[in-house]
Amino acid sequence: MNHPSTPHRPVAPHGFPDGVDLDRVWTGVAAEVWRRSPSWMERTAARLLRSPGLARALVTTPSLLLPWLISTVVVFGVGALIRLGPGQPAVWLIAPGIAAVGIAFAYGPGIDPAWELSSSCAISDRIVLLTRAVAVFALNAVLGLIASAASGAVAALTFGWLLPMTAVSALALAVAVATRSAIVGAGAGVAAWVITVLASETASGRLTVSVTSTNAYLPYLVIAVACAAIAVYAMRPQRGLQ
Amino acid sequence: MNVNLTEIHRSFGKNKAVDGVSLELGTGVFGLLGPNGAGKTSLLRILATVLPPSSGEMALLGRDPRASAARREIRRRLGYLPQNLGYYPSFTVVEFIEYFALLKEMPVPAVPRAVAAAVERVDLGPKAKAKLRTLSGGMLRRVGIAQAIVNNPDLLLLDEPTAGLDPEQRVQFRSLLRGLGESSTVLVSTHLVEDVGAACSEVALMSAGKIVFRGTPDELTVRGEGHSVGDAPLERGYSAVLAEARS
Repeated sequence: MNHPSTPHRPVAPHGFPDGVDLDRVWTGVAAEVWRRSPSWMERTAARLLRSPGLARALVTTPSLLLPWLISTVVVFGVGALIRLGPGQPAVWLIAPGIAAVGIAFAYGPGIDPAWELSSSCAISDRIVLLTRAVAVFALNAVLGLIASAASGAVAALTFGWLLPMTAVSALALAVAVATRSAIVGAGAGVAAWVITVLASETASGRLTVSVTSTNAYLPYLVIAVACAAIAVYAMRPQRGLQ
Repeated sequence: MNVNLTEIHRSFGKNKAVDGVSLELGTGVFGLLGPNGAGKTSLLRILATVLPPSSGEMALLGRDPRASAARREIRRRLGYLPQNLGYYPSFTVVEFIEYFALLKEMPVPAVPRAVAAAVERVDLGPKAKAKLRTLSGGMLRRVGIAQAIVNNPDLLLLDEPTAGLDPEQRVQFRSLLRGLGESSTVLVSTHLVEDVGAACSEVALMSAGKIVFRGTPDELTVRGEGHSVGDAPLERGYSAVLAEARS
């Protein structure tokens, strides 16, 4: 679509030396004029994640307004529910999953308008989603810390939910980047969270009571059936690609 | 060959979107024609590694996209313009193209110049710093084309690229396509027959998930001789082949 007569472009002055590619010169000038300097946070993230693309995804997460609002509502909603809930370990164990599904929906195929485009890029869309999750939890944790000065309930939510979730999602992202696998990263995050919850329940002596409660039989059955379904699905005969 | 497909199938429930497509493509501009629902978009999404086929074999840029490392390398060298380009309204033109250049893992020092070159090639220089929410449909389409070509792809997949472009922009776009096709494989899905006639060296016509014709635009024109449906010779060829495929 580029056109030699494009009006904003400089025209070669009379007697301009031969061999000078004005298009190339102009592109260089435009690149300098339009160049965007990354913030210190983006530069740091790029070094830590070893990927400028993931760093850009991290810092631009809050600017995608609708996904951001939905993710924040889900994260605070799940946090409030578990703080107000009966304190069963099963609730604590599945809460991050619900928050993750909310974030994945908002920043994934559910709402992200450019999801299809992202899915065709070299950086795995799943690792981009992990990056989005870190940004959502981390920024909300910062907001929670600020609000903690005014409200004890917010402080409990921040220290009991947002900060641990920030740590867990950051661990998942770090492992995903190191292993170049979002699934391995997510697995590491889940494992860390399960160990943390179970250790806490064991230390307080509540685990045995919770595990042997008759109320837990139905969830156990549901989980067992879900695991069997996943195993059957994973072992199905592979056809075609992926 | 940059694209090598063998008996590719893709179904959605009982609907066979792509039904046994085999295709080999080297460098050049290839047009993918067909009526709505013929399977063009599904085939392009398969080639963009966004949609896995239900069965069949494929190699893109000499690699098998089933392996994640190979898929990543393919995607680095791929440009893709989806039919419905989603965009982030709060991003500027430059920010949007730069974001996808980074997601394609372009070397960081090369990104600003590549972004500037892509913006200039689609003639969006005066709007480079404009927010995407302020642009018209045709300008957004050009932003989509710019992000697709920013990494100088070896395989460029464009789904309805001229939708929303005015006649002058379409003429310029065809010229851009011909230039890109000199060194890359460019596959353009469209239902605008005149785009194919003007820009493509070869054309494939899809109907009901199958490729029912492959040849040059001139060969398609010859197929339309004596056929009455269509205003232009190429359109008559298109209609004749489709009518034959459906009968």
